Amino acid sequence: MALEPEQLSNKVEESIKSAQETCDDDPVSGECVAAWDEVEELSAAASHARDRKKESDPLEDYGKDNPETDVCRTYDN
Amino acid sequence: MRRLTSVFGGAAEPPKGGNPDSNTLISDTTTVICLDDYHSLDRTGRKEKGVTALDPRANDFDLMYEQVKAIKDGISVQKPIYNHVTGLLDPPELIKPPKILVIEGLHPMYDSRVRDLLDFSIYLDISNEVKFAWKIQRDMAERGHSLESIKASIEARKPDFEAYIDPQKQYADAVIEVLPTQLIPDDNEGKILRVRLIQKEGVKYFSPVYLFDEGSTISWIPCGRKLTCSYPGIKFFYGPESYKGNEVSVVEMDGQFDRLDELIYVESHLSNLSSKFYGEVTQQMLKHADFPGSNNGTGLFQTIVGLKIRDLFEQIVASRAETPVGATKA
Repeated sequence: MALEPEQLSNKVEESIKSAQETCDDDPVSGECVAAWDEVEELSAAASHARDRKKESDPLEDYGKDNPETDVCRTYDN
Repeated sequence: MRRLTSVFGGAAEPPKGGNPDSNTLISDTTTVICLDDYHSLDRTGRKEKGVTALDPRANDFDLMYEQVKAIKDGISVQKPIYNHVTGLLDPPELIKPPKILVIEGLHPMYDSRVRDLLDFSIYLDISNEVKFAWKIQRDMAERGHSLESIKASIEARKPDFEAYIDPQKQYADAVIEVLPTQLIPDDNEGKILRVRLIQKEGVKYFSPVYLFDEGSTISWIPCGRKLTCSYPGIKFFYGPESYKGNEVSVVEMDGQFDRLDELIYVESHLSNLSSKFYGEVTQQMLKHADFPGSNNGTGLFQTIVGLKIRDLFEQIVASRAETPVGATKA
């Protein structure tokens, strides 16, 4: 299962600290640039995880799998 | 991507029962592949080599070409999965040839062999100011981030972005350029957007969208006696231009839609939309009113590009039916 937004947030935080440290050592190195690229990748992943969490509605998911149940029935006419 | 796949038909979803971290989306008509799956270096590998994901050295273009060509030729492939959560390359997943294949990512037009396989290409060009504003919106909620870290990340990646990603613009059949508005002097909110749909001329099966009179130059403010808009209003522009050495036609929208009738009014004045019925653009925009950009040019032009691609696809299918390729019977 995909990581929870909370765990990804931790990863983002760590990656930022790591990037800042790496760049302190050598601001023009490939390592510094790659470190900030990792921050971007994790930030994007964290944002997607937040969006997915917002989108998933437990009742919607249940209804998709069990459309005949009373709570999920829809009437088209 | 959701707007495009919705126009083609069906809702695109991750493949069921497979890797939950797959980047692939599949609908009845369309399969969307994320090109990060062709990373040759995973996160650790890139860190060790001191290379960003933007760098061609982190991507396997031979495999990308081989697999996109195979799918186009009707052959299923076992495509790698790049897991964005773990940063690792996961075991491959089966991709069966769909009616419409979409490849999206950092380098769809970088390799000339891959480029030549594309029937249509789009580049989403976000200006620096808008990119900064969007990343702030996205990342300020993250506890680790600050304005400085957001800025530092953008700046660090800029050289690679400008060297490897941005130059792909010249090859795109359509560029959607997102800029800050010109309607509000000294605007620093960044909420209103000016969006330009830059359409290449002379592309097979693609007839650019235009306003009023094809090939002429038009400035149009729809708000007035027939249509009331709230501040700062809406401004359109259409005209021929030269872009990266190509002849193009540009449709531009600055401002925001507040109401349904503004949208249908604008739609009724645009030509060559390739819509199947009057109001189809408006209907698609309403269907996805909760998606970002639903009240401005980004949503409008992405929807329109979806209709143009659908039309292109149908023309290609029709032309194949007329001239069947294959062995002749004796």
